[in-house]
Amino acid sequence: MLGLKKLKYKKVFARIINTFMSLPPVVVGLVVALMISRRGPLGYLELLFTPVAMIIAQTLLVTPIITGIIFNNSKERGQIIKQVCKTLGGDRFDTLLLLIKEMRIDILIAVVTGFGRAISEVGAVMIVGGNIRGHTRVMTSFIVMNHSMGNYSTSIAMGIVLLIISFITNSILYNYMAGD
Amino acid sequence: MDIRIKDIVKKYDGKTVLNVENLCLSKGKIYGIIGPNGSGKSTLLKIIAGLEESTKGKILYNNQMLSKVIMKKMTYVSQNPYLFRTTVFKNIAYPLKIRGIDKEFTYKSVKKIMEEFEIDNLQNQLATSLSGGESQKVVLARALIFNPQLLLLDEPTANIDPNTIELIERTIVKINREKNITIFIVTHNVGQARRICDEVIFLKNGTVIEQGKTEDVILKPKNSETKKFLSLEYHMS
Repeated sequence: MLGLKKLKYKKVFARIINTFMSLPPVVVGLVVALMISRRGPLGYLELLFTPVAMIIAQTLLVTPIITGIIFNNSKERGQIIKQVCKTLGGDRFDTLLLLIKEMRIDILIAVVTGFGRAISEVGAVMIVGGNIRGHTRVMTSFIVMNHSMGNYSTSIAMGIVLLIISFITNSILYNYMAGD
Repeated sequence: MDIRIKDIVKKYDGKTVLNVENLCLSKGKIYGIIGPNGSGKSTLLKIIAGLEESTKGKILYNNQMLSKVIMKKMTYVSQNPYLFRTTVFKNIAYPLKIRGIDKEFTYKSVKKIMEEFEIDNLQNQLATSLSGGESQKVVLARALIFNPQLLLLDEPTANIDPNTIELIERTIVKINREKNITIFIVTHNVGQARRICDEVIFLKNGTVIEQGKTEDVILKPKNSETKKFLSLEYHMS
């Protein structure tokens, strides 16, 4: 809906979103870690080195990407859809439903891109998660750790598992899009 | 639906693109707007459709200001038709669906209008895979399915083959006569205006230069600007 509204600071919003789309993960990790560390403003929540902290960092990284892609695509096509719905007698709710339905492929592409960013992320999750075995260790941080230890075959094996998961997820989503 | 346009002015970045003092459209007639590119034809149509706001002036629809109720009684078809990513049937049924019309009535209505536009063979086809002419027929069928009182058409037959143009024109006139719909059509084609319009409005630089019965304006234009435009149009066609 932001892409369709005539807002005063829409250009500023677009620039912020576009900047946030290319946020360096380590910077996000660092900021989140500083916020939730014991001396940080959210330190009392005791989230550092927990899966919740990793989810927060990943959300901060992925949300601008998904929002940005949908925002940029909705600026042009969204206006046309909104206009058609209005001329056929649709109200705001009808317009919103139609927009979601008509832009489902754009939304799906944004989600796939966000998923790709999340699954390949290592910097931020290592900073806020701490790579604790059985607790906050993820596949990417496992690969980095094993590589630094010289366990190349283990790293490669985990890399293949990661690739297979990514391939299966993308195949399911793109299969849905192709059948649309 | 009767339309009264009073002192409509539209400005873009301080520049006046439309300045229509007085224009009355009577119920049940087909009006054509002709004029060169940039004369404000599409802008006027969009303002009437409620898609753009005028800088000044007002428009009365059956002596009422534009409201949600009025918006539900009229429709606008742009020169670049947009079809939903679904079947032809669902595209045409959409206006009835959002009005909460039951499925049986919707099915019968869609079937009937598809037959009128000779697109009943396309019922289950994906609308986005249609040709230009077929798309335009679907867009018009979708616009007419809910029996609007006012139909605003922005060059509905641009880039379409003569057979489809003939069918669309015939259907527009038929629906106008049967259902008494007021139709306002922007066209570059003077021949088309002559074939289907009851009255013609010649617009240039955002101003109404000449208005009257189709035969009078096209065959016996009074204004030199209209004469010049028409002679050029005839020469080109």
